Amino acid sequence: DALLGCHRSYRSRPTHGIGKFKYLLPKEVPKRRREKVQMKEISEGTEYQYGDINIQMTSYDLCLVEHFAQYVHRLCNRLSIRVNESYAMPTKTNEVLFLEEKGSKMQLDAVLTTHQRVVQIRGLSSTFAPILLEIIQSNQPEGVHLLMKQHTEADFKSRLKSRPELEELLAEMS
Amino acid sequence: SAAARRPWKLFGAMCLLRLPRITQPMEKEEEEVAALMEQIELEKSHYSDHEIRKLEEEEQLKRKKESLYDEDEARGKTVIMAQDLEEKWEQKFLRFKAAPRITDADKSNDRTSLSRKLDSNLMLLVKQKIGNQELWLLPQVEWQPGETLRSTAERAMATFLGDHVQAKVLGNAPYGIYKYKFPRAIRTENNVGAKVFFFKAYLQSSDLSQAELKADYLWVTKKELGDYLKSEYLKKVNRFLLD
Repeated sequence: DALLGCHRSYRSRPTHGIGKFKYLLPKEVPKRRREKVQMKEISEGTEYQYGDINIQMTSYDLCLVEHFAQYVHRLCNRLSIRVNESYAMPTKTNEVLFLEEKGSKMQLDAVLTTHQRVVQIRGLSSTFAPILLEIIQSNQPEGVHLLMKQHTEADFKSRLKSRPELEELLAEMS
Repeated sequence: SAAARRPWKLFGAMCLLRLPRITQPMEKEEEEVAALMEQIELEKSHYSDHEIRKLEEEEQLKRKKESLYDEDEARGKTVIMAQDLEEKWEQKFLRFKAAPRITDADKSNDRTSLSRKLDSNLMLLVKQKIGNQELWLLPQVEWQPGETLRSTAERAMATFLGDHVQAKVLGNAPYGIYKYKFPRAIRTENNVGAKVFFFKAYLQSSDLSQAELKADYLWVTKKELGDYLKSEYLKKVNRFLLD
């Protein structure tokens, strides 16, 4: 009630719009969910430059993989290599069943989770690439698999979830 | 550019690395920090499912001994107790034997075998005859016009280790260069000296069952290089070797 009775600046008064501030803030671009097209590979004679490269690290141990991914990311920052993205792939759970046949059949379960982290790099010069690879390989912790490969559409698509309803509707339409 | 104009002879040499199989032992500070972090984590962590189950079953046993609650608990009683499971796991763990970190080759200090020093890089050194001397060098072969330096290095590897070596050459660019001038006696207009370009490669498979052509070969670590190589050569080689 006290709020309703306060002085509201009317449109004809000079104090109209006195509390406005949104025009002072920087303009926010609305977020669009569209995929970015991949960069082409630049190869000019002696000066080779790789396009997007994915460094994929997989392991059963979560902390190791995360720390190693962090280490690789920071290393690239220090060496002024541009890092596009650094993301995690969904974890895969494997159930291991032991079938022991000593008299009574016993089943011992073990649940293993596989974690994967990806660091995406752009603009790696080919003279430097083997050195980087060697540094990363020599600092690899035990139990972590390393894989460096070029980024493809298929890699990008594997991160997205498939929508069965959308696909059904599209199939019905066409 | 024709080789006749340049007075330098070109060689391509291959530095074949065998990657370490095991991590290096931790330093004293690293071990202390690791132990401290483990302790902190243990104190901060919550009980896991298995531990909760174990505690509950212990409580059940205690209650059974003190008073007769058998009939009520018998319904929810499981066949296998958590304690039994743990004992089974312990026994299995004791039966497991890990492979030794220090192999036989380490104890005998046999430098020609590949299973020595599993925690550091091993490099191939070959005894070659240059001029009049027999020297320990990284395997090198003279460059022939019309081939890339990388293929020269691969040829050098092939001559010393046979054709079917699974080695992965890292990149087309050389890692280092060593140039030296011939002694005055041999020096001519066309042959002032030689330049050796080094390339690096990783050995993929550790199985070298193929016969080695020249008998004198060694697999050495970076520290032991000083025993075999000459000082100038060693300086240039050390520049591109990571430890």
